[in-house]
Amino acid sequence: MITCRVCNNQEYHGVFFCGECGSQLVLADDKNVNTFIYPSQARGLELDISNTIPKKLLENKTFILYYLEQKEVINIPDQNEFTIGRIVDGQVITPDVDLNPYKAFDKGVSRLHATIRISSEKNKIHVIDLGSANGSSVNGYDIPANSEVPLNHGDVLTLGKFSMKVILPKEMK
Amino acid sequence: MTNKTDFYNRLNINTGASEQAIKKAYRLAVKKSHPDVNKNDGATQLFLDIQEAYKILSDPSKKGAYDEGREPLGTQSAVHIATEYSKDALTKLDEPQIIYALVDIVSTQTEKDTTDLPLNISFVLDNSTSMDGARLEVLKGATKEIIQELNDDDIISVISFNDRAKVLLSSQSQPPMAHVESNINSLFAEGGTEIYQGLEAAFEEIKKNSAFNYVNHIILITDGHTYGDEENCITLARSAAKLDIGISGLGIGIEWNDEFIDELCANTGGQCMFIQELDQVKNFLKQSITSLQEAYSRHILLEIIPAPGVKMLSAFRILPEALPLPTQEEFSLGILKKDKPHRILFEFLVNPIPEEIDQVVIASGAFFLKRKSRDFTIPFTLNRPIIAESEEFPPPPEEIFRAISHLTFYRLQEKAQKDVASGNPGTAFQRLINLSSHLMAKGEESLAKIAMNEADYIKSHNNFSPTGKKQLKYGTIRLMLPEKT
Repeated sequence: MITCRVCNNQEYHGVFFCGECGSQLVLADDKNVNTFIYPSQARGLELDISNTIPKKLLENKTFILYYLEQKEVINIPDQNEFTIGRIVDGQVITPDVDLNPYKAFDKGVSRLHATIRISSEKNKIHVIDLGSANGSSVNGYDIPANSEVPLNHGDVLTLGKFSMKVILPKEMK
Repeated sequence: MTNKTDFYNRLNINTGASEQAIKKAYRLAVKKSHPDVNKNDGATQLFLDIQEAYKILSDPSKKGAYDEGREPLGTQSAVHIATEYSKDALTKLDEPQIIYALVDIVSTQTEKDTTDLPLNISFVLDNSTSMDGARLEVLKGATKEIIQELNDDDIISVISFNDRAKVLLSSQSQPPMAHVESNINSLFAEGGTEIYQGLEAAFEEIKKNSAFNYVNHIILITDGHTYGDEENCITLARSAAKLDIGISGLGIGIEWNDEFIDELCANTGGQCMFIQELDQVKNFLKQSITSLQEAYSRHILLEIIPAPGVKMLSAFRILPEALPLPTQEEFSLGILKKDKPHRILFEFLVNPIPEEIDQVVIASGAFFLKRKSRDFTIPFTLNRPIIAESEEFPPPPEEIFRAISHLTFYRLQEKAQKDVASGNPGTAFQRLINLSSHLMAKGEESLAKIAMNEADYIKSHNNFSPTGKKQLKYGTIRLMLPEKT
């Protein structure tokens, strides 16, 4: 049996989606989602912060996560795929980006919360919620676990209650 | 292409060859195979075979009869089956596992005779009190228009029903339009809704002219619940399916009983549609007729028998129209269109596999296709090799993954309905919130919003809204179609 990481429902081997909550149980490329943009005006999360970031931080970057509460750019590794979460003593698999310095525990971020995937040839960025305890959302819309969800410039990505602004310097004026 | 029993193959020509070409091919074949020239064993038989073939193919009337009865399957298959699975192999496991199979059947048009099949069609119009006003007027107008557009060799009948049925137009081809119009115009709304009355009258009319070279079909349009005669209707639908008569349904508004009409139509492989706007009535009729006119086979049946140790959990037709199929071993699929496949997604539960086996038969089945005077049986087998558990699978094929993903949406709304029915609106609420976020992630924004609104509605009313329930059901069914139209 396979256990759904979102709702703990048991499914048979060979099942792709949890029958109880609909979460994807296996990772698979789904070309359906690539063109979709989450409505950015949702639930009043739209705000213009482009001027508050020092220009030099934007240089040579394809992708920036900006922590809204502390007005800080989160340090992310220069690689095409990385995980976000928080590091705890004795943890076997640690996330590439540790959000502990930002009081991530209080914000309900899981130890391995999400993966960010930057596909170079298409220059598209996706987030995959790794079946986190408190879930993730884009622009206030809950996203399903274990599925690639596209991120666009200006989107607000929330892990638990930890909100970050997605900035693609190329698309800034 | 070396089927020696086929006359065309004996002369080494195509089925479409002209009289001239046949003569030429015959001379050539005779020269090569004449026992005086050809000293090989069996040359005499070959020579005689060619004589026999030419005797038939050179005579137009005998050739016609031969073409009609010629087996289109085998070397020159007119129908093609393709299968795809959710994984390349089954895993050696000591617990049950799921595998999905996508089965396509399509007519490939290698057959020479592709003439259209005329329709034998009956319109069954609800004129109960609830249809009064715009609904009935729009329906009357649309029906008249559609009848005018039908072909000369189509056979038409029109029935109206409330708690009694009335034959407005008895089964005939080329009915005088003035007669059709005055009879339909005379229709007014009164009485209750007894669908069986209408169906039975239509069934009788269709049977009068039902023949193997027609596509027989009943189109039912209603806006209400039928009272107490559901069982009779379903029985009638089953008898209709046995006589190759299909039923499709259109529900207007929100009052009608979707579960019932769905089941009614599904028994004949027909489709049920739901509209909220009256101006869609004509479109629905038009689409139904166009679709029937594309028929290659007037009726196609599917039999599927899971192998021992395998259970079929569900079957869902994806093409030509999305339709949940009853989980049974034999069902009607309605017509098979020219060049357009029937695509069915099966879900199987496979019990643990004994050690020594390296190939498992999941199910065997057959399509039974009826075209003109002939019936064809096209058998198929679903099987997969077995591999050790440790081996990694490549990601599932895109088409089947997409189908399963959309099936999950349909199942979620279905489960939410069950939650409400069993007194758990809280669970239904959470399920619809989940459904909404999955739909959103797939880019189905409007359906996602409907799911969200419905969740809110359930929170305050502990039940579905009548509109939202149908919108979600038919919306998620429509998602199953590979290309939204």
